[in-house]
Amino acid sequence: MKLILSDKPLNVSVPQDGEIRYFDLSALKIANCMGCFGCWTKTPGKCVIRDDATKVYPCIASSEKVLYVSKVKYGGYDTVMKTMLERAIPVQQAFIRIHNGETHHVQRAVVPKQATIVAYGDISDEEKDIFRQLVARNASNMSFTDYEIIFTTEAMLDDMVKKTLQKWEK
Amino acid sequence: MGKIMIINGSPRAPKSNSKRYAEIFSKYCVVETEYFNLTKKNHLELCSKMNEFTDVLFVFPLYADSLPVGFLNFLKVLEANPPAHKPVVSILINCGFLEYQQNEVAVRMMKVFCKQNGYSLGSILMLGSGEAILDGPFKFIAVRKIRQLARTFANGNYRVLHSTMPLPKKLFLKASTSYWINYGKRFGTTKEQMQTMKIEE
Repeated sequence: MKLILSDKPLNVSVPQDGEIRYFDLSALKIANCMGCFGCWTKTPGKCVIRDDATKVYPCIASSEKVLYVSKVKYGGYDTVMKTMLERAIPVQQAFIRIHNGETHHVQRAVVPKQATIVAYGDISDEEKDIFRQLVARNASNMSFTDYEIIFTTEAMLDDMVKKTLQKWEK
Repeated sequence: MGKIMIINGSPRAPKSNSKRYAEIFSKYCVVETEYFNLTKKNHLELCSKMNEFTDVLFVFPLYADSLPVGFLNFLKVLEANPPAHKPVVSILINCGFLEYQQNEVAVRMMKVFCKQNGYSLGSILMLGSGEAILDGPFKFIAVRKIRQLARTFANGNYRVLHSTMPLPKKLFLKASTSYWINYGKRFGTTKEQMQTMKIEE
């Protein structure tokens, strides 16, 4: 399966063959993670907040290709995407493993994935550098086998997404 | 002498480890401090209150490799509603991994916030090893570092500090595994149940 998560509606035609799932996160009801550790210790693998995030994180786990579209703020994901990424921790266990020489959480049934991150906005060189470091960190914690970051403006966003979808079709 | 506003940016602020770190800081800081939990509803109130302080210390955990989203939201509100007199911004960040370096992205984001919004950066303390450090034999290490952090406010000699449990990675794994097994027991959850590979099934 392939997955598109966007923090705003995209003007892009997504193939309706069931192979690609698309979520416009701005249209979903997703609360902030409370940091209760319930998904690790009380109801393992399930978030205790039963909102729209519970439809999204199983798709993150089962996708072999993901496309995340997010505005950048202070060099990181802006709030809409960040809210969802924090709510995706039920895909991990509380337990720690050594991965790439560092301590990281053990993953549940998470498919290793290729990630494309389309990062948009008026982004300074310093912010781009921080964002690259952030996605490198995500790779260890979110099972990215490899990833590509595309920095773009909001005006060019749809074009960049279309290009990624064309690559997926090949 | 100045006055320090401590803002706890943890999503579970009233019951958080960050609160405990803040309490240790206040205990050892000779400069007057006032503590605030960040809630969804008090962002504007905190922005306005900030005018009364020379320093602000943000205490928060690492979430999904960067700033917790509730705290990120607050920074955006602060950007839109800046205090007339901007305090010096300091940071006490903690993460659940052994490597304190995993906090670096969040710290760099805070530096960008300060740069873009005209705040001077004060001291930074990055802690590794998570929840367990305050309840085990290495508590003294965290306390010692937080005490050092507090001293930097007294003499105005802001610094970058860091600390973690002095354990090899494999021993840290053992310690954290036993911590989480005991955590699960509070809810009657076994280690095997916590290790389920199933997601939403």
